Amino acid sequence: MPFSEFLEARRADCRALVAELSKQFAYVGILGSDIRSTRLGVDKNTSDIGEGGLTECGFVIKMHNGRAFFEYSLDDVVGDKSALAQRIVKSVRVAEALRSREIEVPVPHDEHLIQSFSRDCDFEEYSDEAVLETAKRVRDEILARDGRIVNAMVRVSPYTVSKLFVSQNRELDQFYSWVNAFCAAILADGEKMVMAHEEAYSNRMGEVLKTLPTRVSPLVEKAGKLATAKPITPGVYDVITDPSISGLIAHEAFGHGVEMDQFVKDRALAKQYVGKYVASPICNMHDGAAAAFSAASYFFDDDGVLAQDTEIIRNGVLVAGISDLVSATELGTAPTGNGRRESYKRKAYSRMTNTFFCPGKDKLEDMIASIKHGYMLFETNNGMEDPKNWQIQCTAEYGIEIVDGKLTDNYVSPVVMSGSVPELLQSISMVSDDFRVIGSGGCGKGYKEWVRVADGGPALKVKVKLA
Amino acid sequence: MTERIVTLLKADPRVSDYRINTMSRISYELFFVHRDLETVRSTETTETRVTVFSAHNGKLGDATFQVYSSYTDETIRSKIEEALAKAELVDNEPYALPENETGHFASDSNMRELALPELGAAIADAVFAADCYENGSINALEVFVYRDTVRVLNSRGIDKSEVKYLAMAEAIPTWNTAEESVELYECHNFTELDREAIRAEIDSKMREVRDRSLAKKPEEPIACRVLLAAPELREVFESIAYNLTFAGQYQQSNAYQVGDAIQKDPTGDRLSLTVRGKMKGSISSAAFDEDGFTARDRQIIENGVAKACFGSVRFASYVGAEPTGALRCMEVATGTVSREELAREPYFRCASMSGVQVDVYNDYLGGEVRLGYYFDGMREIPLTGISISGKLSEALASMRLSERETVYKSYKGPDFAVFEGVEIV
Repeated sequence: MPFSEFLEARRADCRALVAELSKQFAYVGILGSDIRSTRLGVDKNTSDIGEGGLTECGFVIKMHNGRAFFEYSLDDVVGDKSALAQRIVKSVRVAEALRSREIEVPVPHDEHLIQSFSRDCDFEEYSDEAVLETAKRVRDEILARDGRIVNAMVRVSPYTVSKLFVSQNRELDQFYSWVNAFCAAILADGEKMVMAHEEAYSNRMGEVLKTLPTRVSPLVEKAGKLATAKPITPGVYDVITDPSISGLIAHEAFGHGVEMDQFVKDRALAKQYVGKYVASPICNMHDGAAAAFSAASYFFDDDGVLAQDTEIIRNGVLVAGISDLVSATELGTAPTGNGRRESYKRKAYSRMTNTFFCPGKDKLEDMIASIKHGYMLFETNNGMEDPKNWQIQCTAEYGIEIVDGKLTDNYVSPVVMSGSVPELLQSISMVSDDFRVIGSGGCGKGYKEWVRVADGGPALKVKVKLA
Repeated sequence: MTERIVTLLKADPRVSDYRINTMSRISYELFFVHRDLETVRSTETTETRVTVFSAHNGKLGDATFQVYSSYTDETIRSKIEEALAKAELVDNEPYALPENETGHFASDSNMRELALPELGAAIADAVFAADCYENGSINALEVFVYRDTVRVLNSRGIDKSEVKYLAMAEAIPTWNTAEESVELYECHNFTELDREAIRAEIDSKMREVRDRSLAKKPEEPIACRVLLAAPELREVFESIAYNLTFAGQYQQSNAYQVGDAIQKDPTGDRLSLTVRGKMKGSISSAAFDEDGFTARDRQIIENGVAKACFGSVRFASYVGAEPTGALRCMEVATGTVSREELAREPYFRCASMSGVQVDVYNDYLGGEVRLGYYFDGMREIPLTGISISGKLSEALASMRLSERETVYKSYKGPDFAVFEGVEIV
């Protein structure tokens, strides 16, 4: 599968528009985006092949007038460039009342770089019919396993991404693909109803279609266990987090806190802690589109900055944050390749990509054995950041009680973990030697601007409030 | 473009039905760092989605694709071919699309009276008018103004359009003391420009953030009634309403069935909830859904008992019910609690939460409270570092609803509710 023909056909138009707008603006960069996504799904009674929510095709132009930034999103850049440039300038006009408030930020660096990137994609080897057949087979197997299962859902969501970036000195293009899939079961046990799910994801459809059927047994077993789950007695516990929950902590506790557009706005306490201890000395954390391989791995970001691997915490000390082009320019630092947009219709912000704790030296079984009474928490449900005040809320789908160093059969669900970020990170007392980045998540900034992210890490032993 | 697509769809006899949805958006957006204007954005985009239906072997399949302005007739033809091939793989029960209705629904919002840059500036000025405290500031502000035009057209004579004006101000009120700096998150959505209402809303958050700087973790455990405000009530009631849909009924995923007591052995106010299409002041208000079906309001909960389900023509047809359309607004009947009655006994008021967690399946209600007020019978004391946790069913049984009404996003109803049996941890 090749890079978008549409964007290729508009490459010269982008160059011409950059040249035209450069007559009025000190910096001009255009991002063209052509994302094709599909959603193939079945449940007990229905099937569905539709367009996925990521599908888009259009352009966004970023400009700098020597003081502030301007952006304009549009569907196409074809046609008379002089007329288009006039339309753009008119559309981003600032009302008279606000003109004196324009910020003064230096013009971004625009270093010379011309490069193409592409990743292998096997989607053309698998027809919609073949994907749907696998989904139906997995659904039927889930339904057949347990008479209490009243519905089963299977969904496969492949997408391809083509992006073109053209500025005065840079011309980059990239093509890559990804596929997320999940299967879920709704189980009714008397008055209680539970939903359990399992995931499969890869850049290769073949791998996902091979993995999905292997998730049926764990899914059905988990649904049965969740039907027995009780509410947790609120309190502070010794807790082991699975890689998903470790990733959620990395993401919510510190990932959002080191997004450097928050530094610019004095919205992140982390700004004052660079070079200082913020976590246990056995804690190390990274972020970067090039730091791991997942749905959040790209070659260059939406500002045309190459993907990187940023070390955020080294041995408990905060080393650096992550930035987009605008915040890096304002702070006088080099951008880290974390400028991301929900779509070409939205603004670029400093956003996480692959965010994770690094593996340690402990064995998971030793970690569990070290707990007299506590819980092991599994599977991210959701989380919420508070980078200014370093509070955290993370919700796990379920937990399993640990008694006298052993996992029991006692499930609790859901489990909300909350408290102070420094207390939580400083309470990390053991870190397992295994490691997994979960590659299918989504993340908002505040309550909007959704992008694909991944997070993970090893298992962590922490002390935290559960409710 | 739409007319071209219709001609091409009609030319293919394998297309049994079709629907075209377009959404044109003109936006103007302002991004402030403190009081400085950092970025100005504007968008002019149109999204066109075409759904083709294929009737085959007594079943109905459909598939959707987007059409871009760059597409030639040849490209659209090949997209129709691809969509038909997909639709033929889909074996759903047939249902009838809405028929023979046309209409244009114009917005009467006062936001149409100003050009978008001036409208954005007016909103920003109203927000900054509340930035007048010595130790307080708005550390960041994002203003979004949208003029959306939605159109649905189908092969059965539906052709409807609606123009909407929406705005959002996302502000970060911050309070600085010698010891620390704290913030709260404020997202104010509206469909009418009311400068004073914007200023007052931001001002109330400025006072709350001041209180957050004073808030402490409670030294002693607190046990009392818990009060939730409209943003959290919206989450609670939406979670309940979305378990009374025709789609959930058909797919057996609804946690509630018609006739179920949503409030078992209620001791407080009885819940009555109506789902609506259009609702004045709500950013979710819509005259019709994406099928082009005109919204039909429906009461789904009456006096604490599930009375009906709601949903689109497709799933209504599958369960043999009268459709309502995919309604996105809800109205909850007010209750009996006045501010005076509330002040007769202690309560804990959740003013700002990370996000209330509502799990209907697991009978759970909880979440982290960033700023709460404990009313000890005399005064409200600001608290932080607290979570709430309880059984949703027990909370609903004891629920008392305020007598005063408010609108928040898709919710219209009591401006607060009081619950018993929720632990404060």
